[in-house]
Amino acid sequence: MFESSYLIGSIFVAACVTYATRAIPFAFFAKKKPSSLVKYFEINMPLMIMVILVFYALKDVKWEVYPYGLAHIIAIAITLLTYLRFNNALLSILLATVAYMISVQKIF
Amino acid sequence: MNFFAIVKVTIPVMMGYVPLGMAFGLLLASLLIPWYYAFFMSVFIFAGSGQFLALSLFASQATILEIGIASFLLNLRHTFYGLSMISTFKEFTWRKHYLIFGLTDETFALLKTNELSETDREKTYLIITALNQFYWILGSVLGAVLGNVFPFDYKGIEFSLTALFIVLSIDLYKKTKLHKPFLLALVIGVFGMFALPSDKMLILSLSIAAATLVLFKRALEHNV
Repeated sequence: MFESSYLIGSIFVAACVTYATRAIPFAFFAKKKPSSLVKYFEINMPLMIMVILVFYALKDVKWEVYPYGLAHIIAIAITLLTYLRFNNALLSILLATVAYMISVQKIF
Repeated sequence: MNFFAIVKVTIPVMMGYVPLGMAFGLLLASLLIPWYYAFFMSVFIFAGSGQFLALSLFASQATILEIGIASFLLNLRHTFYGLSMISTFKEFTWRKHYLIFGLTDETFALLKTNELSETDREKTYLIITALNQFYWILGSVLGAVLGNVFPFDYKGIEFSLTALFIVLSIDLYKKTKLHKPFLLALVIGVFGMFALPSDKMLILSLSIAAATLVLFKRALEHNV
């Protein structure tokens, strides 16, 4: 069992530190007029972050061993094809997730 | 946007956060930590991977200082999210502190891709963030309290977050038409996935992306 002082202290520190990581840019740049570099980041970073998050979500896939990430490849293909075709985010996410769940639970 | 339209926008996050929160709650319960700590952690920390990390550090009896440093390094990526939110949040009232607090990967993704009229933007952002945190708290408490009783097999539902990121990437790409940054991020993402250590992949990839943007500012800026 853990001491409650240890748990409470850890949670308090983790909470402060996590908030700090989110607040840092606001503390540094909020007062000043945004520089051209900050504006440039605001334009370009979101798309790059989003694309990198896709690969981040896939980072633990074991491509080199059976089933070679096949469940992911199928589900990603479903996401891409249905979204480009129907342009409905919820539909694509639902179809792909259900397909993925069936793959990992029943097939692979 | 009315409330139900906002709820609809957040449904993909709900599909990811509730089961992921439950997994967190189950893990917490397996360490014999009382369920209300799951509630406190999800209320005050609100960081998916950060909370899992804290549990694994609890399990290995890490010191509070170690927990602080590890959480800081893990969540450092959020600094980049804030960086691209500065001018949006600037106009907001004191309530923006909650938005900053709640800027998780998924919340950031939703806020950034839903273009809203100026008038009700702050309110909509607040509701999105609060709903997301609600799903997360709900999942983690459910997992900690009665997760063991639920017979349903959730295995694989975490793909909803992957699909969400894919859909949002397509949206942003269509909207911004930033071809070069898009290709650059694809290359960095593939590199990060295969070549970078899994636990530092995100922060390293984002740092590379930021550094590349700075280095090639001239080339990227004049060819949008």
